[in-house]
Amino acid sequence: MAEKKVILKIKRQSSPGQPAHWEEFSLRWRPSMNIIICLRDIAENPVTRDGKKTTPVSYDSNCLEEVCGSCAMVINGKVKMACSALVDQLTQPITIEPMTKFPIVRDLAVNRQFMFDSLQRVKAWIPIDGTYSLGEGPRVAPEIQEKGYPLSRCMTCGLCLEVCPQVNSGNNFVGAAIISQVRLFNMHPTGAMHAKERIRALQGEGGIEECANVQNCVQACPKAIPLTESIAEVNREAWKQSLVGWLLG
Amino acid sequence: MTQPKIIVVGGGLAGLMATIRVAESGLPVDLFSIVPVKRSHSVCAQGGINAAKNQKGEGDTTAKHLDDTIYGGDFLANQPLVKRMCDEAPNIIDLLDRMGVMFNRTPEGLLDYRRFGGTLYHRTAFAGATTGQQLLYALDEQVRRHESEGKVKKFEGFTFLSAVLDDAGVCRGISAMDLRSMEVKIFPADAVIFCTGGIGAIFGRSTNSVVCTGSAQAALFQQGVDYANGEFIQVHPTSIPGEDKLRLMSESARGEGGRVWVPRNPNDTRPAKSIPESERFYFLEEWYPKYGNLVPRDIATRAIHRIVYQEKLGINGQAAVYLDVSHIDSETLDRKLEGILEIYEKFCGVDPRKEPMKVFPGMHYTMGGIWINAVDQATNVPGIYAAGECEYQYHGANRLGANSLVSCIFGGGIAGTAAVKYSNNLEKGTASVPSTIFDSEKKRQDEKNQALLSQDGAENPMTIWKEMGEIMTEHVTVTRINKNLELADSQLRALQTRYRKINLSDRTRWSNQTLNFARELENMLLLARVVTLGALARNESRGAHYKPDFPERDDANWLKTTRAKFKNGDIQLTYEPVDISLIPPRVRKYDAAK
Amino acid sequence: MSSTATRPDTNYLLRKLHSLSGIVPVGAFLAEHFWSNSAALVSAAKYDEVSRDLQTIPFRPLVEWAFIFLPMLYHAGYGIYIWIRGKSNISSYPWVGNWLYTTQRYTGLIAFAYIAWHLYTQRWLTHGKSTYAEVEQFFTNPYFLLFTAIGVLASSFHLGIGIWNFLCKWGLAATVKAQRAAGQLGFVVAFTFSLVGVLILISFRLDWHPFSYYWQK
Repeated sequence: MAEKKVILKIKRQSSPGQPAHWEEFSLRWRPSMNIIICLRDIAENPVTRDGKKTTPVSYDSNCLEEVCGSCAMVINGKVKMACSALVDQLTQPITIEPMTKFPIVRDLAVNRQFMFDSLQRVKAWIPIDGTYSLGEGPRVAPEIQEKGYPLSRCMTCGLCLEVCPQVNSGNNFVGAAIISQVRLFNMHPTGAMHAKERIRALQGEGGIEECANVQNCVQACPKAIPLTESIAEVNREAWKQSLVGWLLG
Repeated sequence: MTQPKIIVVGGGLAGLMATIRVAESGLPVDLFSIVPVKRSHSVCAQGGINAAKNQKGEGDTTAKHLDDTIYGGDFLANQPLVKRMCDEAPNIIDLLDRMGVMFNRTPEGLLDYRRFGGTLYHRTAFAGATTGQQLLYALDEQVRRHESEGKVKKFEGFTFLSAVLDDAGVCRGISAMDLRSMEVKIFPADAVIFCTGGIGAIFGRSTNSVVCTGSAQAALFQQGVDYANGEFIQVHPTSIPGEDKLRLMSESARGEGGRVWVPRNPNDTRPAKSIPESERFYFLEEWYPKYGNLVPRDIATRAIHRIVYQEKLGINGQAAVYLDVSHIDSETLDRKLEGILEIYEKFCGVDPRKEPMKVFPGMHYTMGGIWINAVDQATNVPGIYAAGECEYQYHGANRLGANSLVSCIFGGGIAGTAAVKYSNNLEKGTASVPSTIFDSEKKRQDEKNQALLSQDGAENPMTIWKEMGEIMTEHVTVTRINKNLELADSQLRALQTRYRKINLSDRTRWSNQTLNFARELENMLLLARVVTLGALARNESRGAHYKPDFPERDDANWLKTTRAKFKNGDIQLTYEPVDISLIPPRVRKYDAAK
Repeated sequence: MSSTATRPDTNYLLRKLHSLSGIVPVGAFLAEHFWSNSAALVSAAKYDEVSRDLQTIPFRPLVEWAFIFLPMLYHAGYGIYIWIRGKSNISSYPWVGNWLYTTQRYTGLIAFAYIAWHLYTQRWLTHGKSTYAEVEQFFTNPYFLLFTAIGVLASSFHLGIGIWNFLCKWGLAATVKAQRAAGQLGFVVAFTFSLVGVLILISFRLDWHPFSYYWQK
């Protein structure tokens, strides 16, 4: 009986300026294999299917349990976290490509700095006076916690940006994740004191107005964050703030 | 006079807290991390964070938290420092609360607390099942705020290579490698704080993240920074053994009636469900009829290890046993265990309601680490500080559940403040150090890279790493037998020899992950030996360190801290007393009142 | 600093205006237009009466330009600007929302082309004085009839999806349940408008007046 194989087609690119090309690999199948295990197999024996020596594949990874947000890549045409993408649930040959909405570093590794910069732009934090002892924080209704907690699980993986037609090179749209973080911070009693600044930041270029209500984000989110709800909430706050500000100052 | 500068290496909880403290002091701080700091390993902590706030009216006090921590650590931790941490813990919770962490709440809007292992009190604040992630994000946000104000500069995608020491042995900065351009760069600083986490990768697979290699600790060790209590490694009894990593499987699966077994015949390749009851070996139930599957953590861990390594009864010869909940009706399972069963299904593609889960004990936490003093997180090298899992204080011989997050934040805060004070009081700042010191360190690191990139050999770094992991997991985790430890050390030394013949399959100069991994591997091999030799020497059983040939704790001979030094190119073990000035040692057992 | 901190960018306001203009006045006018034209379902005389009433509103050109032509031009022009800023990925992610997004763009384009032609033939060439007889004559051309049917369906679905988008994007329907209801509402609007529009066309083509007995009484 022939040994069961896993066939992978990986899009390779040695550096940002270089042309991309595809390489095919044939690996020994084992139960419960995920894409990370496949990439490690290649690192141990970097030889293509037709016996050509090549280099190990570069990719981002860290926690391997879907909480750090590192290992997002496009697998069989859809963006996924590689650590939870199981070989047995994918049609072979499995194609693996880097995400397309972020600058490529090498092979499957991309640079998602744009998202961290966006978090800075919308002031996604609670401005505390200092880390010295100032007593307890404000009381938070359990209802707020139950709404806020799912939002705070966002791991900045970028899947929602990758699937959004409105996020592209001609458009600086910050994407669903960032808007959802604004909602999170505006919902916290202390964060609410600075809600206007965050909303205002989302009314600038590439802000919330770029959302076209496609709702791909919520389909793609690996953490099932109610992103469309967040966008709607923030949208409402935004126009109310503009209207009330214009009318009443 | 130029302003002093501080570097923080590592952007997990400890590193971020240290960064915030430095930024608040007004000194500039550079933060180095291999991954974007928001992706650090702290995100993996699930359970919660301890603080004796006595919010449930149980009469909990920080003194009781101290006692639980010291007792849990089998009296190997220096008590006054642990006391400071326990006293400070309620303030840390308040701080995190003010930072907006979405902690679970009581109906009154106060923080909710749950009970955790090793204590009788509701002392653990938690945010759903991702407390570590929530805390890391809160600190990450504060650092981003300081970054936006120009107080913090981040160097994400950089790996630490070495400290730069001047002729007097004082730290004057670091050398680091840009993981994109693969360039070695020198960063002068007046003080450096290391918060580089656990060392899971030296066990091959563990519950740790990919970046938890211990490479930075080992690099420092070779430069004269001592390493303490390396032999103390916490193992979680039931993790899901993936080929890439071990993922935690909560003990509640056993709590709800899960049974642990293996096929009696090790060559039995039938699917688990078709193996009849009579051919299943429910070893916990047979060996421990009184507690059965609910034996304490360490007992379960050792029993599973014995089945796999001594009895050679692991499933299909693998390091795994069955944890079976498939006999429980799925309605009950969904009600009580849904979340954790989903994790198994997600990563294994198998429904545990229908088929038994495969589990195995997994290396989980590094109690030992960089030696620091018991006052302000300073190492024995002036200008170098350490905080978080990479240092050895706070947890003794075994870590109390939900104490890791608090120790990271507490230690990080102290280290930040201490580094600022040290830098401000430096008589001769780094600005006055001749540049030749930096140049020669850069040259040394460049040459190392060049040698790795050009050498020819037959060894693959991934293969050596895997073999190291297997050696460490088999001999240096749960059950430690001296002749096996001696064997392990000689095997590790053989791997060190083979390492000299590694051949990099990637010799490019752009984002070369193979080169970086090879550099880490050399350090890991050394650290693996520190752990192994520490374990070999310690002829007793204490906390997570268990030797069947020496089953009792031996305070007369071993109530002391292992302090490994790097002398003449080799590891030298020295020992120093433990500060037990607050709580006199007593026997540790969890089956009776303490 | 504080003045800029509260004032949103022009882009934001223009985009909001685009979204709003699709409902009011453009969407509202579409509703009114279907409503007036449905007079054909009653009788030719009723149609001509309604038509004459509309043709005789005071300041008619001003009203037409301010409430119909300019908003529509703006809505179409800015809509195309939005379109070119997006990059469809329907082949990779064939999800419902993504289909609606794509549909919204093409229906918008078709509707715009149709409306331009419609205005030229039915408003410009007729000098704004169309009668039942002229329209009936117009629809004897099967290609005109077909293009009109396509235009009616495109406009109806563009409005239906637009209502869904509007309710979501203004945060009037925020929860998953509310957004589902908004989607259903949009579909009902699209379907109703399509139905009424097609019935009106049939009415002109076949001289069919199902509500003629209203007029006789």
